[in-house]
This record gives sequence, C-alpha cells and structure tokens, in this order.
Amino acid sequence: MTIQATARLERATRVRAEDFLCAFDAGGAFPDARPGQFVHVRTPADLTLRRPFSVAAVTGRGRFELLVRKRGEGTAALLSLPEGAEVSVLGPSGNGFGLPEPGERAVLVAGGIGVAGLRHLSRTLARDGRRQVVLVGAPTATALLDGVLPGPTTDGAVRVEVATDDGSRGLRGTVCDLVGRALEETDAPARVYCCGPQAMLRSAAGIALAAGARCEALVEEVMACGIGACRGCVVRTRTGYRAACADGPVFDAAELVFDGEERA
Amino acid sequence: MRTPIMLASGTVGYGGELSGLCDFSSVGAIVTKTVTEAPRDGNRPPRLAETPGGLLNAIGLENVGIERFLDEKLPAAAALGAPVVVSVAGDSPAAFARLARRVGERPETAAVEINISCPNVERARRPVWDDPDATAAVVAAARAATGKPLLVKLSPNTADALSVAEAAQRAGADALVVANTLPGMRIDIETGRPALGNATGGLSGRALMPVNLALVWRIAAGVSIPLAGSGGVATAEDALEYLMAGASAVQVGTALFLDPDAATTIAEGLRRRMAHDGVRSVAEYKGMAGRMST
Ligand SMILES: Cc1cc2nc3c(=O)[nH]c(=O)nc-3n(C[C@H](O)[C@H](O)[C@H](O)COP(=O)(O)OP(=O)(O)OC[C@H]3O[C@@H](n4cnc5c(N)ncnc54)[C@H](O)[C@@H]3O)c2cc1C
Ligand SMILES: Cc1cc2nc3c(=O)[nH]c(=O)nc-3n(C[C@H](O)[C@H](O)[C@H](O)COP(=O)(O)O)c2cc1C
Ligand code: FES
Repeated sequence: MTIQATARLERATRVRAEDFLCAFDAGGAFPDARPGQFVHVRTPADLTLRRPFSVAAVTGRGRFELLVRKRGEGTAALLSLPEGAEVSVLGPSGNGFGLPEPGERAVLVAGGIGVAGLRHLSRTLARDGRRQVVLVGAPTATALLDGVLPGPTTDGAVRVEVATDDGSRGLRGTVCDLVGRALEETDAPARVYCCGPQAMLRSAAGIALAAGARCEALVEEVMACGIGACRGCVVRTRTGYRAACADGPVFDAAELVFDGEERA
Repeated sequence: MRTPIMLASGTVGYGGELSGLCDFSSVGAIVTKTVTEAPRDGNRPPRLAETPGGLLNAIGLENVGIERFLDEKLPAAAALGAPVVVSVAGDSPAAFARLARRVGERPETAAVEINISCPNVERARRPVWDDPDATAAVVAAARAATGKPLLVKLSPNTADALSVAEAAQRAGADALVVANTLPGMRIDIETGRPALGNATGGLSGRALMPVNLALVWRIAAGVSIPLAGSGGVATAEDALEYLMAGASAVQVGTALFLDPDAATTIAEGLRRRMAHDGVRSVAEYKGMAGRMST
C-alpha cells in the first residue's frame, strides 16, 4: 500500500563526498518497504515534481533510510535540510525484488549509487541467513561507497568483490567483468540483482542471462506521479511499455528492451 | 458539483490509481485519461522533462482503448465516489460521435469531455483545435450522439481561441475547458538531443497559468456557457484567479504530482477564503475581475 505521510529527518550521515545516508521517521502508519521499493519525496526546493529514492533500509516501524546522492536542485535542497525537518513522502511504491528461492544463490551487482537500491535487499538476506555474493563497481577506489552494503563475513555467508575502472581497488575493469566469473564458480542456480546506470544494467543483464541465471534489474526513470497514473515513466519491455513506478522499478531483465536494442 | 475542483485528464489515470491517496469528497469531478477507440501505446520514452515552473510531457495519449475502458476502468472510477467525466478523442467527427455514444450510454458517466487539443498527436496540417469549422463538426457530431453534458477542451495553441470557443458553443457544447498544454521542448546539451523521445511535448504547471488565465478572461467575455480553467492550478488562490477571470470551476493536473490530495487543500482554502470574504457561493467570485475593470 502506498500512502502519503510526513517524514522527519532524524539524521543525515555523510558516506562519501556527496552521498548521504538519511534516516527518516514517517510514523507508525507508514508501511514497511520491501527491498527494491522506493519513496517519492517532496523536496523543499521549488520544483514541479517529487524525487524518487530507493528505500535503502527499514530500521523500525515507519522508519527507513535513503541514500541520497547530490545531483541537482532537488537533492541539494533535501541534503541541506537540518535534522528534525519534515518532508512529505509518498510510498512505499513499486514492486520490489523477488527474494531468492531456497537453493538459489543471490548475486548482487551494484554500479555507483546503485548500492542504494541493494542495501535493503542485502540486509534482508543477511537477516534471513541467506548466502550472498556482492559485486560492487566504481570509477576509482575513492568513489566506492564503503559501509553501505554489508562487508564480507568470515563464515563466507557474505562475499564481496570490487572492480574499479582504474584498478585502484580490486579488479581493474567494470563490475560486469565480475558477474561472469561469479556465475561460473558453481553450477548452482543463481539469481542476479542489478542496480546502477543503464549501460551497466544492460551489460550485466546480458552476461547473467547468457549464463542462464535469472536476473532482476532496478531501472531509474524520471517520474511525475510515481503511482502509475500519468504514464510518464514507461520503459520498453517485450510486452510493450510498462510503468517503472507501478509495474517496476524492478523488472525481469529478460523482459526489458534496452536503448538501442530492437523491439521483439 | 460539491466543489468547483476537478482532477484533470491524464494526471489521475483512470482514477483508481489515486485510491487511498485522495479524499474524493473534496473532488468536484474526476476527468479520466483520454480514451480512443483502439488502444494506443503512446510515444517512445523519455516522456517527461521538468522546466522552470513547469513540466513537459509527451505521453502520446497512451490508453487502454474504449473496450477495456468500459469493462474495467469506468466501473472502478465510479466506485471512488466522485462524478466521473470521461475524456475521449477520435480522428474524425464520426469517431468522436461513436465514442461519445458509447461512454454516454453508461450510467457511470456524469459528463463527456471532448479532447481536441492534445499536442502530442500528429494531425492534419491545420489541427482541429485551431479551426472553428473543424471544431464545430466534431462537437456537433458528439452532441448528436449523447444527451450527457458535453465539455469541450480547447487548446491555448491557437490564433483565435475565441472563435473556436464560439464555434464549440454554437455546435452544442455545455461547457468549455480552457485549456490544454502549450507545445514546448528541452534539449540535453551534453548529447545535443531533445530531452523527450518525441522531441516536443506539452507544457503544463505553473508556467502555463498566465497564458490560460488570459484565455479564460478573453473567452468568458464572448461565450455564455460555463468555463473550467485549467493550467497551473495548485492553490486556492490560483483557483480564485480563474474564478475571478470568469471560470466556474478549475481543473487541477500537474499539482497532483506534488500532492495527490491537492483538491482537499484547495477546497479548504476556498472555504476559508469565502468565510473571510463573506461570500456564500463561489459563483459570486465569477468574473469579478471583468466587472471591476469595466
Ligand atoms: C526508482 C528510483 C530509485 C532511485 N533511487 C535513488 C537512490 O536511492 N539514491 C539516489 O541518490 N538517487 C536515486 N534515484 C535517482 C534520483 O531520483 C535522482 O538523482 C534525482 O531525482 C535527481 O534530482 P535533482 O533535482 O537533484 O536533480 P535534477 O536537477 O532533476 O537532475 C540532475 C541530474 O540527475 C539526472 N536525473 C534526474 N532524475 C533522475 C532519475 N530519476 N534517475 C536517474 N537520474 C536522474 C538528470 O538527468 C540530471 O543529469 C532513483 C531514481 C529512481 C527512478
Ligand atoms: C502527464 C500529463 C498527461 C496529460 N494527458 C492528457 C490527456 O490524456 N487528455 C487531456 O485532455 N489532457 C491531458 N493533459 C493535460 C491536463 O489535463 C491539463 O489540461 C494540463 O496539464 C494543464 O493543467 P495543469 O497545469 O494543472 O497540469 C495531460 C497533462 C499531463 C501533465
Ligand atoms: S510516474 Fe506516473 S506513471 Fe510512473
């Protein structure tokens, strides 16, 4: 259920240069978000539209975190709010990720700020005692968002691999280079969860699908209503246009038609 | 209407999308997404681009088509509790007539809104909305096809809006919606490409309001049927400006993207304002600006 509520900014913690983990309390009536769902935030800027953000964690009844990267006017205004300030939130919205089935390996693939969309999933898997492989990519070591996704555990339940374009940490290359390797390790069925820029989704999904894995991709589109009413945020799928806000933002990657691909 | 506040076509889907997010007792009427005879996919994405004070959209009339609309969407809209105005568009007077008849036959339909003004659909060289004769032909055909109240939604993108409005009135319109969006564009300077997949789209929101307010002012002086102002209404004060310019109601669209319950805020604001002004009916505001300037 999606509702409109007033949320209080409890804390904004800088994770890296312009990325902040913001903790909100929207009150007990605000439903818990599932991993992959988002909230549509009315920023304090004088803008025409709200701004969508993945729920990065649920920390209690009506309490959640957003990882916000400063991009333009809306995010700048949001990040300039003092602690205790109130904003209107509409959510939790969208479909969210499907959880892996018993015996299925979870492979999380995050590019850049995409870690935001996977944090809630990763924490949920860890809580449920599920094994996960976390693959993270960034241009350089300093751009990596350490601490947003869980670190590796000694029992191997959480394994983390890193790729940087300049090789300053982990593999020199892209996070997509890690996907193929992670899938080849065993024959166990895998479910790949991708979140990041379009080019990364397209390439990671291509590798995952070619390896026979199921793949879910979280897509980002400019949104107006955020509830499926305006048809502004559509993405191309094999069965026609679907609304990223209401039918997504998580899609079965096999269904998506990426930019430049012919429509089936 | 319980309140003079309507929810504009294309911004509330078929109504059900707002269920639980909007107090429909504050809504005078919901106008459903424009429906055509055949389902339409709409334009290629991206379909939205924000501009200072406004929004560009190039949805391209994506809709489920009249059959699914009548089967699924209309009953669901009616169940919300506000009167339902059904917006229709066709590519000929006969198509408008068929659509008006189909939706007009249904008890759930409170009124029919004729959309001759969507800027996202290619038409003949001289679009219907800019041509009094073509407008009259469409309105007359729809008029003959239904006894339900008939609203005609005009475009601000016309050389002589008053002539089009007069033609619609003569052809049997019961009310006019003034008006739809203006054509606009943004370019992504990094790629040099238009921000919208369709290159151009319709400008809505606050940036549109002075344009459509001037149209209401001008058209109100020349026609006798009621007008609903549309374009940028977000607050009770905005609604009042339209009423004072000569409208009897307003439609709220883009403002719903910031607050799906904007109708409640606006209705409450209007009530406070009326109490303050000692006014009993919003009709007392109607055309006040015109009376005062003459
Ligand atoms: C489902 C979903 C989940 C998201 N989750 C997060 C998140 O967890 N953390 C986060 O920091 N951001 C997230 N985003 C992106 C976020 O919505 C945009 O960064 C934000 O809207 C930019 O607003 P602005 O006013 O600061 O920038 P604007 O001035 O609007 O734009 C600045 C730049 O950001 C780009 N941009 C605008 N809207 C989007 C968008 N919807 N997606 C991607 N880029 C955009 C523009 O093209 C432009 O280059 C998500 C988007 C979606 C659709
Ligand atoms: C996303 C979007 C979709 C729209 N679709 C339609 C439509 O299908 N039919 C129509 O008559 N008007 C449509 N409109 C126009 C609105 O109904 C309204 O007239 C216009 O946006 C101006 O009002 P506003 O500034 O309050 O939004 C659409 C507007 C938007 C923003
Ligand atoms: S943002 Fe309106 S349909 Fe998705």
